[in-house]
Amino acid sequence: MTQQKSSINRRAFLKSSTLAGGGLMISFSWLSAFKPADKGIPADLPEQWAELSSYIKITPEGIVKILNPNPEFGQNVMTSLPMIVAEELDADWTKVVVEMGPHDNVKLGPQFTGGSNSVRMYWRPLRQAGAAARSMLLQAAADTWKVPVEELTAKAGVIVHPKSMKSGKYGEFATKAASIPIPKDVKLKDVKTFNIVRNSMKNVEGQKIVTGKPLFGLDYRVDGMLIAMIEHPPAFGMKLKSFDASEALKMPGITNVFQQKLYEDGFEQGGFDTRSFNELLVVVGKTTWQVMQARKKLKLEWEPAGETKDTMGGRGSKREVVVPGELESTDVQLKKMQEYATKPAQQLRKDGDPETAFKNAAQIIERTYNAPFLAHNCMEPMNFFAHVTDEKALVAGPLQAPGWSEPTLAKLLGLPADKIEIQMTRMGGGFGRRAYGQYLYEAALISKKLKSPVKLVYSREDDMTYGIYRPMYTATYRAALDANKNLIAFHVKGGGIPEHAIHANRFPAGAVDNYLAEGWQIPSNITIGAFRAPRSNFNAAAEQSFLDELAEAMGKDPIDFRLELLQRAKESPVGKNNEYDVDRYASVLKLVKEKSGWGKEENKKYSRGVAAYFCHASYAAHVVDIVMKEGQPYVERVFSAVDCGIVVNPDAATNMVQGAVVDGIGNAFYGGLTHKDGAVEQNNFHSYRIIRMNEAPKKIEVHFVENDIDPTGLGEPPFPPVFGAVANALYKAAGKRVYQQPYNSQLNTPRAF
Amino acid sequence: MITLNINKKTYNVDVDPNTPLLWVLRDTLGLVGTKYGCGIAQCGACTIHLDGNAVRSCVMPVSAVGSKKVTTIEGLSEKGEHPVQKAWLEHDVAQCGYCQSGQIMSVAVLLRENKAPTDADIDAAMSGNICRCGTYLRVRSAIHAAAELQRKKA
Amino acid sequence: MEQHTQGSILPVKTIAVLCGMVTVAVIMSFGFKEEIIADRHTRQGMEKDSAASVAAFMDVYKVLMSPRCMNCHPAGDVPLQGDDSHIHSMLPQRGKEGKGVYAMKCSNCHQKENLEGPNKPPGHPDWHLPPASAKMVFQGKTPEQLARQLVNPKTNGNKSLQQLIEHADDGLVKVGWNMGEGRTPPPISHAEFKKAWITWIENGAFAPKGK
Repeated sequence: MTQQKSSINRRAFLKSSTLAGGGLMISFSWLSAFKPADKGIPADLPEQWAELSSYIKITPEGIVKILNPNPEFGQNVMTSLPMIVAEELDADWTKVVVEMGPHDNVKLGPQFTGGSNSVRMYWRPLRQAGAAARSMLLQAAADTWKVPVEELTAKAGVIVHPKSMKSGKYGEFATKAASIPIPKDVKLKDVKTFNIVRNSMKNVEGQKIVTGKPLFGLDYRVDGMLIAMIEHPPAFGMKLKSFDASEALKMPGITNVFQQKLYEDGFEQGGFDTRSFNELLVVVGKTTWQVMQARKKLKLEWEPAGETKDTMGGRGSKREVVVPGELESTDVQLKKMQEYATKPAQQLRKDGDPETAFKNAAQIIERTYNAPFLAHNCMEPMNFFAHVTDEKALVAGPLQAPGWSEPTLAKLLGLPADKIEIQMTRMGGGFGRRAYGQYLYEAALISKKLKSPVKLVYSREDDMTYGIYRPMYTATYRAALDANKNLIAFHVKGGGIPEHAIHANRFPAGAVDNYLAEGWQIPSNITIGAFRAPRSNFNAAAEQSFLDELAEAMGKDPIDFRLELLQRAKESPVGKNNEYDVDRYASVLKLVKEKSGWGKEENKKYSRGVAAYFCHASYAAHVVDIVMKEGQPYVERVFSAVDCGIVVNPDAATNMVQGAVVDGIGNAFYGGLTHKDGAVEQNNFHSYRIIRMNEAPKKIEVHFVENDIDPTGLGEPPFPPVFGAVANALYKAAGKRVYQQPYNSQLNTPRAF
Repeated sequence: MITLNINKKTYNVDVDPNTPLLWVLRDTLGLVGTKYGCGIAQCGACTIHLDGNAVRSCVMPVSAVGSKKVTTIEGLSEKGEHPVQKAWLEHDVAQCGYCQSGQIMSVAVLLRENKAPTDADIDAAMSGNICRCGTYLRVRSAIHAAAELQRKKA
Repeated sequence: MEQHTQGSILPVKTIAVLCGMVTVAVIMSFGFKEEIIADRHTRQGMEKDSAASVAAFMDVYKVLMSPRCMNCHPAGDVPLQGDDSHIHSMLPQRGKEGKGVYAMKCSNCHQKENLEGPNKPPGHPDWHLPPASAKMVFQGKTPEQLARQLVNPKTNGNKSLQQLIEHADDGLVKVGWNMGEGRTPPPISHAEFKKAWITWIENGAFAPKGK
């Protein structure tokens, strides 16, 4: 957000409010069905709002409404982003009403939930917005009282003029403030004086969540809305040959069965327009259950799709991408990966002379790690509401990247972007999956065809077998030690289907004289996408397991070993472009060492593993403590240290880290998706195991490094190192290293599902 | 027509008797607090109370409800002041929040039958409710807190 | 060897092995016979044939150890699931009455009838495990152990032999042959099982020894 844009928007709003008197509320009409939380605030919100910036509105009664710009998928931005505004505004947090903002990249910025970006992307703009609004309110009070603005103070929504003992609430000055030009270069607070940010505030949607209010895309309803579901091919590499819907159409409530192409031939797809299947068979009816029943009556014939072509646009020039037609199976994929691993690969980074160092090594340690495809399995399956007419489109649902979806939607519907309204509902999880808007496009095309409001619903099975998975990865790590067991060279060669995971410029790059990173990839028709800390979630498993094994071979403590490498990278860094900050990396290791009582006698009863990783500009380290419970390794407790800069909402941030740890343990032990002749072998939670209450740790102690660095990422960074820490603790518990995820399959224990 | 008693109100619905209660609640009656997660009784997101039992509504044919009393998250308390709901807010349990109505409905049964559940009791009662965000620690601590609230109230 | 022809689908090789075992059983099962003799005295004039009884039991055993029966007679307090008899997802506990605990009672998911479609909980109005007071464990039991357990009122839920015979037609037993999509039924039909079950009991409910 720039000051100038706010200024334009403010005028535009004031104009419309004069004409329509409450037009602003109308622009949020869908929220009228989603009543604001009862926080002791009158149910009928005043219609006259003074808008001080795109984010803030204040009523004459002093209620401050703050728009949350970014989609909410559980990272708690509905609370943390408004907290940032309220901090600089010096608002009374108890009087703040938070609303989800509309999709409007001009007014509200990038609006992208992903890449652990929300807080760091909005940190400055939201502080500026709050500070500007505060400044305008103070100016309005100064003008009213005819005193110099410098003599005024504000606290918790009250402006005070100490000399005259005058005081007034923000609401009293809101209307007047709205006519004051938005100031430039407002001074922001010293972060040490914060009294909202850095304090734990409850989730503003908590009450709605615990009382079951309609919040999610799947909860979205309008009168006359139809339900659509899509029958997609039973396997990657297949397509629909023919269908007979006569029986399905006789089923109660069923209105339509038809074929719909998603992208016409040559349609230029954006970078996040991934889709697994292009020919859709759509079943439409009145209720979800009726459509589910009718689907069973379809007579369908499928055939191999053969090689197909995608036209990709977006970054760079338009290009054609060939999608192979093979019906892939996991065992074949694994064999293929072994083959590719022996072939020459793309060099990603090279320092020194690794070849010679390995030739001269006294000892070489080489280990290969594998990990399967993972499904996101958001608790709320993919769905979207759409009402498309010849003139305009309204779409509503769970979406991480509305700004990326809108241009594609406009092209697909043949509508200008300003005729498309995207409403962002709360998401029942995202984990990266909902950055890919193909299900929104499908819903919109179905609505356009039907000329009716429609909600597209994926069943759990549809969702799990659709694709856009975490890729299948492998990596071989090699280390060369000299006769004195010094690490003289490090080599990683990673590959994947359809992409590798290697971040060549990350630790331990920069800490080893001779370093080589290489990558290769195998094309596939199995679609992939971002999955909580993409690539990092595999690297931190493989690399951190390898470093543990290396430390052991060198006779060193695993934490000390890492700290020594970091010290080396600090004193005389090798190579260029080292991505990480040595001190921040070391700080989480030191903190977790201290807090976990590393090496202390009382912790000897645990099988302990440690790992640390850097991603999304933040640092996380975990110590995982495993015990044996009924013959199974069980992570009983975890100590976590995180450096994500300033922690906006500490208790919620702790919740996020705890969740990331549980998610990591679950995926490390159980996560995995396999294929047989292109078909996914797991299609619901009976066969795709998700961690449950009894398997989650009893304690996860989270410690944040205290510093005044502007916030860096948090949703993703604590996730990847869990995998490595679990692997290293399992080694202590089971006496053998695990190299293949999910680890549970390596433990010779009965499957517990 | 099937007559249902839901949250102390009577509803008459004209649906296929095999329709799972979940879809009657969500699609026919607009009670969308009860969530669809898996459709095969694996995840617990659809948990409701049927005469006080934590039934998975996604596998319960509406015809099997009969005269039994259905309580959904919307009817668990009048103003969201059930001890479990209060504890949930106090411990800020939710992340995405999607599974939480099912979690809460399961906990309400646990605490009715066991006033002071141990961690083992909680495992036994709650392993049927998946939380993909991994809020299990907070679910656990909020259960202990809710039990405490309930004891104080009694 | 006629006994073995009754509904038996055992391959020849197995039958030969069983013959040997039957002999052993006859010699070594006196103690066992003592235990139930009072009950058998009530069946006046019935010829007791230990070979026929034991042979029939081996059919019974195959059924009881099939996933459809054994999964709800686990060694632990959590039922098993699936054709591979893995531990039941989400670990539902037996509870005192065998009906689950708290929010995880069997009937919270298991309906009165099977549901259409794969991977859904199979149904019966009284879905439950044996109660904690008589767990009636099948999992891991040898034929001898299982046979002894079945006829002993202390370990069979206090059933007389007559009640045992009637138990073949128990609804929850019969549901083993009708458990919905994707679940392999026991190796012989219910009629064959019932016949073997009654043959086993009426011929003296002998236990195959040493197996």
